[in-house]
Amino acid sequence: MDPELIRNFCIIAHIDHGKSTLADRFLEITGTVRAQDMRSQFLDQMDLERERGITIKGKAVAMHHRAPDDLVYQLNLIDTPGHVDFSYEVSRAMAAAEGALLVVDASQGVEAQTIANALLAMHYNLDLIPVVNKVDLPQAEPHRVASELQQVFGFREDEILYVSAKEGTGAQEILDAVVARIPPPKGISKDSLRALVFDSVYDSYKGIIAHIRVQDGQLSRDQRLQVMSSGKVAEILEVGVFAPFPKTVDTIYAGQVGYVATGFKDVRDCSVGDTLTNNSKPAKEPLPGYMPLKSMVFAGLYPSDGEDHNRLRTSLEKLQLNDASLRIEPENSTALGFGFRCGFLGLMHMEIVQERLEREYDLDIIVTSPSVSYQVVSPTGEITNIDNPSKLPPPHEVKEIREPVLDLTIVAPDRYVGVIMELMHSRRSEFKKMDYIQGGMVQREGVDSDTAQSRVVMEYTLPLVELLADFYNQLKSRTQGYASMDYSLKGYEAASLVKVDVLVNQQPLEALAMILHRDQAVSHGREVIQRLKAAIPRQLFEVPLQAAIGSRIIARETIRAMRKDVLAKCYGGDITRKRKLLEKQKEGKRRMKMVGRVEVPQEAFLTLLKIGAED
Amino acid sequence: MLADPTSPTSIVPPSGMALYIHVPFCKTKCPYCDFNTYQGIERMMDPYMGAVTQEITQWGRVLEGAAVNSVFFGGGTPSYLNEGSIDRILESARSSFQLKDGAEITIEANPGDLDLPACQRLINAGVNRLSIGVQSLDNELLSLLGRRHNADQAMAALATARSGGFSNINLDFMYGLPHQTMPQWQDTMQRMVSQHPGHISLYCLTLEEGTPLHRWVETGKLPQADQDLAADMYHYAADLMEQEGYQHYEISNWCLPGFECRHNLCYWLNQPYLGVGPGAHSSLGSYRFWDISSPGTYITSVNDWATKNPQPAIGLTEEVLNSVLPVDHQEHIDEDTFLAETMFLGLRLLEGMDLAEVSAQVGIDLGERYRSEIRDLTELGLLEREGPLLRLTKPAHLIANQVFTRFVG
Repeated sequence: MDPELIRNFCIIAHIDHGKSTLADRFLEITGTVRAQDMRSQFLDQMDLERERGITIKGKAVAMHHRAPDDLVYQLNLIDTPGHVDFSYEVSRAMAAAEGALLVVDASQGVEAQTIANALLAMHYNLDLIPVVNKVDLPQAEPHRVASELQQVFGFREDEILYVSAKEGTGAQEILDAVVARIPPPKGISKDSLRALVFDSVYDSYKGIIAHIRVQDGQLSRDQRLQVMSSGKVAEILEVGVFAPFPKTVDTIYAGQVGYVATGFKDVRDCSVGDTLTNNSKPAKEPLPGYMPLKSMVFAGLYPSDGEDHNRLRTSLEKLQLNDASLRIEPENSTALGFGFRCGFLGLMHMEIVQERLEREYDLDIIVTSPSVSYQVVSPTGEITNIDNPSKLPPPHEVKEIREPVLDLTIVAPDRYVGVIMELMHSRRSEFKKMDYIQGGMVQREGVDSDTAQSRVVMEYTLPLVELLADFYNQLKSRTQGYASMDYSLKGYEAASLVKVDVLVNQQPLEALAMILHRDQAVSHGREVIQRLKAAIPRQLFEVPLQAAIGSRIIARETIRAMRKDVLAKCYGGDITRKRKLLEKQKEGKRRMKMVGRVEVPQEAFLTLLKIGAED
Repeated sequence: MLADPTSPTSIVPPSGMALYIHVPFCKTKCPYCDFNTYQGIERMMDPYMGAVTQEITQWGRVLEGAAVNSVFFGGGTPSYLNEGSIDRILESARSSFQLKDGAEITIEANPGDLDLPACQRLINAGVNRLSIGVQSLDNELLSLLGRRHNADQAMAALATARSGGFSNINLDFMYGLPHQTMPQWQDTMQRMVSQHPGHISLYCLTLEEGTPLHRWVETGKLPQADQDLAADMYHYAADLMEQEGYQHYEISNWCLPGFECRHNLCYWLNQPYLGVGPGAHSSLGSYRFWDISSPGTYITSVNDWATKNPQPAIGLTEEVLNSVLPVDHQEHIDEDTFLAETMFLGLRLLEGMDLAEVSAQVGIDLGERYRSEIRDLTELGLLEREGPLLRLTKPAHLIANQVFTRFVG
């Protein structure tokens, strides 16, 4: 196939700005999906995706479109996830495309993710087509939004397209623009095969199915493939394209997008970002991969019922086959028994994994409060990653602790600047800059005053751990839902961080160890100790509870020894009732976890581990 | 003792049993009380009298006039019954069972019900022990507890009972009450001890679900009593009574030498007892069972039972108990349960348990059976041995559940 007749593109948009609906229209217009097979948000196959209104995994679909030049083009739409946690997957989709539609809601305007995704697309040198969507809405202000697009990204007015994805008006023109404005793939068919793996899923019959974009050469059914990172060789079981359902073909040509069933059983044998080549005529250099995938958020996952430990393990492993970004590592905790330390892309990713475990695997799980990974620098300059506070070396072996810091962008109406600054101030953030987007450039009669007001783009750096502590909810509630945000990892920065140990009867309780900023250590330490005091019943002896930084005690409470625990009356003959009371009390003791000689109810751990020290 | 159901004399051993009579009437129900007792059902007093004497008669047939060592009228307010009622019940007990000479016969009484003629009637009927529900000598606390008497009436009742002929008198008191202070408690205890009653029982208030007092505390109308203060009150009273020559013979009970309550000892020694009246509990053979709680239903079912002619039972079985119509529920006490109960009841007696003796009685070596429990509890300083006796240490008296829970479940 002539690469000149191929266009690879993706759609980027802030959540709910109508990306999936627009994709639905394209599928209809091009006849890729017959009208009677059509259902809304066609590409979002997972129930969870449809329910949450977001796309979790990128998809690729090949469509055929007759352009005004009367030629039929193959348009490969690579769908992208719409949530900030999945910006990594967005970047994967972008690496496989030459252009992108930048979709903005005509009533909402440019939002934080619009900016973040557009910047990412520019980074990948994609040609952008600005699209104002939902022009049918009564509150739509397409011209104001168009002026925002011009102001923020420097588009020309005549570049901007208007569409109602819901009604379909303007969709045809967008496809024409894709053909006209997005360049064809530059791959060279004669060269050795180089195909980028931009996604992979596990199929129990065909093994790992790699979603690929052929950059150079061609990939055919009769080849043997080599994974360039590992040198592993695969027999090809099947080659195909998405139309939008998988459809087998003999060959995928340079510039085209499709899939190949490799027969590999382990997702690590053919992971996202790898380059596939022809084993008999291998390419010299692999394609530039992606930024290595990094888990940003960590939490312990434990089965509510210890019996389910093995089932949780196999379920997590199955999820991992289709979700390369999920990290798992066995962990055990005094409090919760055997479980797994898991790494996630973000909070949303964590919630989705939890929900899939509960829904698809019928597991009841406990998720500990999320934390981040720290870089610990030793006196000799060695850097170790620590994602579990209890693994932090003693203070004399630590020269410096670095924490992940985000570049955060917030877009909100300017009347919220005050409350946002207040929130940011309480979160150890650093202000970088603030820009106004003048919404009033194209004034119209009778425009709702709320939306006619100026909006601001505020940029900060923010420690990731502060984001985890209910930041987004706080932002939403303080701005009545009007603020949007996006972030990306800036890097690791040294901070005055200390490990706070929690000691019960002089014995450190690893499950409750925390890494905190020095300024917050005393207040958080005190809070945890107080909550622990409320949750641990009195024992036969006095129990000191302490929070400590190294050997320095920063908070202390004492649980006094039990003084009274006896059934008052024991006559009247109702011995059975007395015995049952004692049995109930014993059953309660049985469920306690022993920390040294101290009996601690599991609920005590749960309240502290699940909610964290924040509220 | 584990009964052998195949032995004809096994239901009640020759050493006899205790008899409890439950009186479900109160002039007013106290807001802390969750016992099976009612106010405003005085119309049932006559039918009740018929039923309870009938139940005694019927049981006398089933148990072939077994020996009875003690009788206890509890409630409720037994002193609230009409004149002559106690005589009638005791008469039916004497004609149905072999009531031993010198048997302890106790009645619970409200201070307000005790005038001289009433006391003399009780003495004449054969009652020889009186248990007065004083609860407090602070008038505000008495009114909080919904009691109908004041402190002066309580002291007067004690004097009246003594002049009416009672020499074996118990006084009940409560501590750990909302609003109760240490000085109030000290005053109550000092005035009580100065009267030298033969027997004193102290109960820490337990907020029982469903009672008005529980609700008042839950809704914040009353403060939760401080449990540390309650512990202080207990220890204060224990020290005071020890100085005054009282023996602390059970966790909640003190007496002058020779004034132990023989009826209650029977419970703590896990010996057999028969309870009659609505909701009364019994422990016979290897069964624990209790009567229907509702007085009306109880009366009807006893009357139905009275139309039957029960035969002496050879051994107590589920079937036999099923034929006893007023019995509402029965529980078979298996060996594990029996032994656990023997331990947690026996250890309530502070002198201790003679493990060798009890082992011989039950036919199982308890020291062996509970070796690890006894060892752990001894290491924790909660149990100690003196000679043949195993007993709670003094610090364990008020946290004895920590010991008892080791033996159950």
